[in-house]
Amino acid sequence: MLSRKIRARRLGAVGTVAIAGLALAGCSGGGGATDDESASGPVELTILIDSTEATVSTMQGLVDAYTAENPDVTIELENRPQGSEGDNVVKTRLQTGDMPDLFWYNSGSLLQALAPEQTLVDLSGESFMDAVTDTFKAGVTAGEGVYGVPVGNAMGGGVLYNKKVYEQLGLEVPTTWADFISNSEAIKAAGIDPIIQSYGADSTWTSQLFVLGDYYNVEAADPGWAEKFTANEAHFADTPSAQLGFDHLQEGFEKGLYNADFGTTTYADALEKLATGTGAQYPMLTFAVSEIQANFPDNLQDVGFFAIPGEDASDVGMTTWLSAALYIPQGGENEAAAKEFLAFVASPEGCDAQTEAVGVTGPYFIDGCDLPADLPPAVQDLQAYFDSGKTFPALEFLSPVKGPSLEQITVAVGSGINTGAEGAALYDDDVLKQAQQLGLEGW
Amino acid sequence: MKTRRYVAGGIAILASLVVFVVPFVFILLTAGKGRAEANQLEFTWPTDWQLWENVVEVWNTRDGMFLTAMINSVILTVASVSGMVVLGAMVGYVLQRRKGWWTPVANVLILAGLIIPPAVVPTIWVMQGLGIYKTLPGLVMIEIAFGLAFTVLLIRAFVANIPRELDEAALIDGAGPLRLFFQVVFPLLRSVIITVVVVQSVFVFNDFQNPLYFLPGNENATVQLTLFNFQSQFNQMRNLLFTDILLITIPPLLMYMFFNRRIVAGLTSGAIKG
Repeated sequence: MLSRKIRARRLGAVGTVAIAGLALAGCSGGGGATDDESASGPVELTILIDSTEATVSTMQGLVDAYTAENPDVTIELENRPQGSEGDNVVKTRLQTGDMPDLFWYNSGSLLQALAPEQTLVDLSGESFMDAVTDTFKAGVTAGEGVYGVPVGNAMGGGVLYNKKVYEQLGLEVPTTWADFISNSEAIKAAGIDPIIQSYGADSTWTSQLFVLGDYYNVEAADPGWAEKFTANEAHFADTPSAQLGFDHLQEGFEKGLYNADFGTTTYADALEKLATGTGAQYPMLTFAVSEIQANFPDNLQDVGFFAIPGEDASDVGMTTWLSAALYIPQGGENEAAAKEFLAFVASPEGCDAQTEAVGVTGPYFIDGCDLPADLPPAVQDLQAYFDSGKTFPALEFLSPVKGPSLEQITVAVGSGINTGAEGAALYDDDVLKQAQQLGLEGW
Repeated sequence: MKTRRYVAGGIAILASLVVFVVPFVFILLTAGKGRAEANQLEFTWPTDWQLWENVVEVWNTRDGMFLTAMINSVILTVASVSGMVVLGAMVGYVLQRRKGWWTPVANVLILAGLIIPPAVVPTIWVMQGLGIYKTLPGLVMIEIAFGLAFTVLLIRAFVANIPRELDEAALIDGAGPLRLFFQVVFPLLRSVIITVVVVQSVFVFNDFQNPLYFLPGNENATVQLTLFNFQSQFNQMRNLLFTDILLITIPPLLMYMFFNRRIVAGLTSGAIKG
C-alpha cells in the first residue's frame, strides 16, 4: 500500500506527454482479447462522449441513422462528465489503454494536450477525410497526422444582441469598436444594460470572449501572429492589436457599460437578460443559441449576432470556433469498424442525421452538407460571415499555447481590478508555464 | 431559568430548521419547476408543479440509467462498509492488544493511508493486473482500502476502553481466538461500529471520484455520476438536476429514519463508559 501511495501525485499532473507514452507502452499487452475483426459479421462499438444534452442527442442521432443502415453493427454510447473532470477521464483512460473504440473530444489546443501522435490513430490516409474542410483539419493536426472527424457545427465568437432593443433605439449593427461603444452608450441612456457580463458561479469562462473572439482583428492587423506567438516571438503585452481585447474589457468597465450585478450573474442569468431584453448585448459563442432555444423559445427570433468589431470598418470578420471531433485511440480492437462509422459521420448523410437530431447552430465542416432553410436569426447572421469568407479560427485552434488562467485574468480586468495592459502581461506569464510544459521550442 | 431554557431550545430548533430544512425545501421546490424557471435558482413557489414529469424524465434518462445506478450504489455502499467494519475491527483489535516491533510500522502505514492522496493511473495498472478493473468488486476493494485507515484509527482507540480482563475471562473459559473476537469483542464494539457505518456509508454513497475513474461504463454508473447528465457548461437543466438530487437523497433518508433510534442509542451507550 505504501509503495503505491508514495508514488501518488495529483491527477492533474499526470497528463504529461512523457507519461502518456510510457503508459501505452506498458499496457499494450494488458487488453489482450479478440483480434481485429473484419467489417463483416456483428461488431459492437463503444463511443465515449461527454454527457451534455447536446452531445448525447447529436451522437444518438448519428448512431441511430448509422445502425439503421448497418444492422450488424451495434453502438453503445458511454458517458463522461464535461470540464476538467472529463479531461482527466480521457487522459486516464488513454494512458491505461482502456479507451473505447471511439471517443469525442475537443479539437485545437486541448487535443494537443493528449499527445495525439502517441495515443491516437492517424486518419490522414483515409479517403473520407477528403470531405473534411481544411479549416477543420488544421485544428486536429499534430505533426504529420490528422486525427479527428468533426461532429457538430462551427461556432462563432462575437456578440449576441437583442434585435428588439436595437430596433426600438434605431441602432445599426456596429462595424467598428467605436460604433459598438456609441451604440452601448445609447442603450445605457435608454435604461437597458448595454453589455452583459457574467462572472458568477461556474460562469467565469464567459469573460474570455472579448479577448478570444477578437482574434480575427489581431490576424487582420498582424498576419501570422499565431505562429509568432507559438514561437515566443510575439506576446499579448507587446502587440497593440492583441492587447486590444484586454483593453476593451477595461473600457467597458470604466464606462459603466456592464450590468451592475455582473459579479454574480451566471451564464443562465445572462441568457435570460439577453432573450428578454433587459440586457442588449452579450459577448458569447453562437452555441448559446441552442440554450436560448431550449429555455426561451418565444424569444429566439429576437436574438441576432455580430462579430466583435475591430478598428477597420472595411474589414469586418468573425473569429470561429471549431466543433468537437471523434477520435480513434491506438490499439483498439475494432479499428476497421470505427473507421467505417467515421466515414459515415464525414458524409452529407451524417450531417443530415445531426440536423434532424438537434437542429443546427452553424455550418458543418464537411463538404456537401446543406443547412435547412428556417434557421434562427443569430445562425443566419453567423452563416453570412461564412458565406462572405470573412472568418478566421480562434487562437486556440492555431496554437497549442493556451494559458490555464485566462478566465481569472479576464475577470480581473473586466471587474476593474487590473488594467488591460496588466491583464495582457499577466496572461503572457500564464502562457509561459504552459508552453514550457509542452516543451515547445523557443520558450 | 425555565424561560431561558425555552428560548435556547427555540433558537436551536430555528437554527436546525435553517440549516437542514431550508436547503431541502429549496431542492424540492426547484425539482418541481420547469426548465427555464428552475435555471433562475430562486426560492419561489413553482408557477406550475411538474415534479412528477421531472421524476419520470430523470428515471427515463439514458435508458433507465438511474435504476442501475441506484442498485450499484446500494450494493457498493453495503459491501464496502461491511468490509471496512469487519476488517477494521480485526486490525484495530489486534493493533491495540498485541503490541510488537511491527506496531510502529503498521501505525505509519495507517497514517500514510490517511495522509497521502491516492494516485489514479498506477492504481488502475494494479487493478488491470489483477483483472478487477471495471468491476464492482474491484471498486468495493478500492473503497475499503481508502476507508480502512480511518476506521482502524477509530476502532483502535475504542478497543483501549474495553477491559483486558474480559478477553482473559473468555480465554480461561476456553474460547479460541476467533470466538473471542466475534462473540466477545465484536459485540462490545457496537457503538463505535455504528459511528463507522454512519460516517463511511455517507462517504461511500456520496463518492464521486472513485467510481468515475475506477468503474467506467454506463452499466456501472453510481448515483453521483448520474448528476452529470443534467449539468454542463453550456446546457443547464436544474429542474432535472434537483429532481435527481431529491431521488438520491431518499435512500439515506429512509435509512436514517428507520435506524435513527439505534444510531442514537449506539452512540450514547458508548459515551457512558468514560
